[in-house]
Amino acid sequence: MSQEKSFLKIFQYSETSVLLEFKQEPKIDSLNELIAFKKTLNSNLCGIKQITLSYKSLLLQFSNPIKKDQNLKEEILKLYLSFDSSKSKIKSKHWNIPVCYESKYASDLIVLSKYLKLSQHQLIKLHTKPIYQIYFIGFLPGFLYLVGLDTKLYHPRKKSPTLKVCKGAVGIGGRQTGIYPNQSPGGWNIIGTSPTSMFDPDLKQPCFAKSGDTLSFYSISETTFKKIRKNRIPPNFREITL
Amino acid sequence: MIEILNPGWHTSIQDQGRMGLQEFGIPYSGAMDMNSFNWANKLLNNSLNAALLEMTIKGPKLKFHAETVIVFTGAQMDIKHNGNKASLYSPIFIKKNDLLECGACKEGCRTYMSVLGGLQTERILSSRSQCNYITKSGHINKKRILQIKKESFELNKGVSLKSPLPSYNIKEIEVFKGPEFDLLEPVAQLKIATQTFTISHLNNRMAYQLEEKIINKLPEIWTTSVLPGTVQLTPNGTLIVLMRDAQVTGGYPRILQLSNHAVNILAQKSTRDVLHFKIKSFD
Repeated sequence: MSQEKSFLKIFQYSETSVLLEFKQEPKIDSLNELIAFKKTLNSNLCGIKQITLSYKSLLLQFSNPIKKDQNLKEEILKLYLSFDSSKSKIKSKHWNIPVCYESKYASDLIVLSKYLKLSQHQLIKLHTKPIYQIYFIGFLPGFLYLVGLDTKLYHPRKKSPTLKVCKGAVGIGGRQTGIYPNQSPGGWNIIGTSPTSMFDPDLKQPCFAKSGDTLSFYSISETTFKKIRKNRIPPNFREITL
Repeated sequence: MIEILNPGWHTSIQDQGRMGLQEFGIPYSGAMDMNSFNWANKLLNNSLNAALLEMTIKGPKLKFHAETVIVFTGAQMDIKHNGNKASLYSPIFIKKNDLLECGACKEGCRTYMSVLGGLQTERILSSRSQCNYITKSGHINKKRILQIKKESFELNKGVSLKSPLPSYNIKEIEVFKGPEFDLLEPVAQLKIATQTFTISHLNNRMAYQLEEKIINKLPEIWTTSVLPGTVQLTPNGTLIVLMRDAQVTGGYPRILQLSNHAVNILAQKSTRDVLHFKIKSFD
């Protein structure tokens, strides 16, 4: 079950799952389209257990093995062709995430700023300016895949990963920036640390953000960092309807 | 309750896992060999999702502080119940203060121990499965106390207790072509389909690495969804088979996908075991 269309490839991934791959490069419009189409699939296809979203694809997992005579591919194509993303309204949130860029919390900031031929101040400004799109969560529980990093900050990952990157570390790896939700090994260049807890398994919604939300960083002092972490102050947000 | 006198090599509490929470980046988790897991609960008439102990390589030493019934399934193992040999796939009736000593796994590497009514440990994000970053520990530790339920036992007449023991000597791993398989050069495709692969010492609940390398000339892919059983090809040519505790997204080409059955078979294999892939289509 694999059909090539200029815009969509439908591929049976396992006995119980189907992968939809979209041809466009990740950009804001296409994320909203993905989210809206995911919603359409969830409400129109029978026996769906879960749909996971990533940069260019949706993975549809079903409760039962997919039968050949089910015509699932045709059904999905029909839904895609009649799909109108302009009709669906998506409610999302914009999150303001505090980051301490002071050298104690930013092990690679000096090296990276020299490499990119920027002052530390310029680098921080370029990192805090954009509105980042939260594409999806993966890699580690609560790790947000963000799109929107300024091209001037693109920088390859380290050749060999650091064994212990701290919880809350904010890094740059290739064309991406992100926050480590927990201490883990990692290969990104660390330019700051956020005191905000990105993942709490004891909460019903363990990660405050979701796919489709937006985010921006703002610079804080060490004193504020300590205060937020100590009092577990949740991040500020505002509601958006697109 | 059950007291852990010695946790064994790697013993963890598992149920069916955390299906449905992957949008937060949460691993699927759950018993590595779901087939043995299901048998263990079926033989006790437990609910399908009852939590049990998954023992790897070498089992624990346990003391029971209450009466209950238990069943072992999966890899063969020497089990001593108060010093007497006990067998797998049949109920063991436990009295207060009974001691249970589990030996090393033989033929296969994961043995399951279900308890009447299921283990009553804390549920985190709708599951009792232990997993790093989600539960306090990824495995059970010495001196831990596991709560159990008091329940009356009825033999499950619907299932045969003398069912043949599964064989874990099977070397054939049933797979489907992954989304990036067709991008591989024909030589690499042929190698994957015909070569024997050896499981590296880097194998655990997250992933199994294979020793033999495949030349990888594929371009990088955008980070995408992966599942337990997805076989990734790293830039240096290593094949990595993702297992139950794997991350839910990955940026390496997805070469193959194991069938559900094959994930259970692989879960019983360990370091230096060999396998070959049998590529199947869905029809």
